[in-house]
Amino acid sequence: MGRTLILHDLRQSDAEQFLPRDSVKYSLFAAAPPVRHCAGCFLCWVKTPGRCVIPDRGADFAAIMTKHDELIFLSRLVFGGLSPDIKAVLDRSIGFVLPFFRKLNGETHHVRRYDKSPAFRYIFYGVDITDKEKETAKKLAAANALNFGSERFSVSFFSSIPESAETLL
Amino acid sequence: MKIAIMDGSPKNKDSASGLIAAALQAELTPAADCAVCHAASHDRDEIMAALASCDALVFVFPLYVDGIPSHLLRLLDEIQNDVATVAPGAAVYCAVNNGFYEAHQNGVAMELMKNFCVRSGLRWGQGLGVGAGGMVQAAPIGRGPLANLGRALSAFAENIRNGVSADNSFVEPNFPKFLYNMIAHMSWRVQARGNGLKIGRLWRFKISEVDEWVQSGKSSDINKGGK
Repeated sequence: MGRTLILHDLRQSDAEQFLPRDSVKYSLFAAAPPVRHCAGCFLCWVKTPGRCVIPDRGADFAAIMTKHDELIFLSRLVFGGLSPDIKAVLDRSIGFVLPFFRKLNGETHHVRRYDKSPAFRYIFYGVDITDKEKETAKKLAAANALNFGSERFSVSFFSSIPESAETLL
Repeated sequence: MKIAIMDGSPKNKDSASGLIAAALQAELTPAADCAVCHAASHDRDEIMAALASCDALVFVFPLYVDGIPSHLLRLLDEIQNDVATVAPGAAVYCAVNNGFYEAHQNGVAMELMKNFCVRSGLRWGQGLGVGAGGMVQAAPIGRGPLANLGRALSAFAENIRNGVSADNSFVEPNFPKFLYNMIAHMSWRVQARGNGLKIGRLWRFKISEVDEWVQSGKSSDINKGGK
């Protein structure tokens, strides 16, 4: 299993064409076709700790995260955030952290379940990305990193899938 | 005037968003024709019909991973090119609630909604951030610890009725933060015990334990009612 996990929303044909094939370094998780959306039941916190109870492949993602040093979100930028397919996977993965609160930078955030979290790297692609959307994406990445206990994060923007995927090579 | 309130909780009943949506609907009726619909509904035609000719679209949703729940985000993504055609000139408002005490943590989700407005050609109205959202399920809105929320919702409804744009507003309960956090922690423990879970299992794992626990099927044993 690679050191870097890439959660991407590309169609299979694009993924095959553009994503790295080095399976020693990279693990790939396809967010499309979409997994079911989070039901808001919190059972990943109070019944099956660390694992979503909805029985599809979205339930595996939190555990897969623990095996990697870096998590790359390769996502279409939607309103300055992650695409619905990627977001569906992430919403199902909050079992990666604990329900309990801790104080961080004067704010409440979640306590980590595991002893370390992967670094978060956001690679967004989209047409006519606005400055406002970029600003929102940076704030979102910072907030996600805090809540998932990730100590490092970075955000970059590209105007097409090939350009965004090229940064991985 | 016609107003649509979109309940963005994945739950059909008893959600904090559902309760906030109902309180807003009560504030807006009878001055406006105001209906609540669910984003989780799979019937897109029904949703578009609910939004049609509205003067205001009000999205009420829980904060999920610092953003919009994926099912609501999918809906917004799908309707962004058509919504201004069915509801021309409509103003968009959103009330976002989070589990943390601090209401300002809903700010990023409001920005996402504002960016949706720009993309779809609708007018931005206002965002209301509700901290400690879970308290809505424990106390009546407008009274005691949720008196602040009652006032904030009235002011928010007033802006919606008048179709005005305003700065985002953030509201927290009249209830101490340390007590809210303590009760939340207690509640997680009680729920876990109710599921036959040993409390230690709620706590930290070493990554080496993941195989043993999460991936071994023991978690699914618990799901079947085992220990």
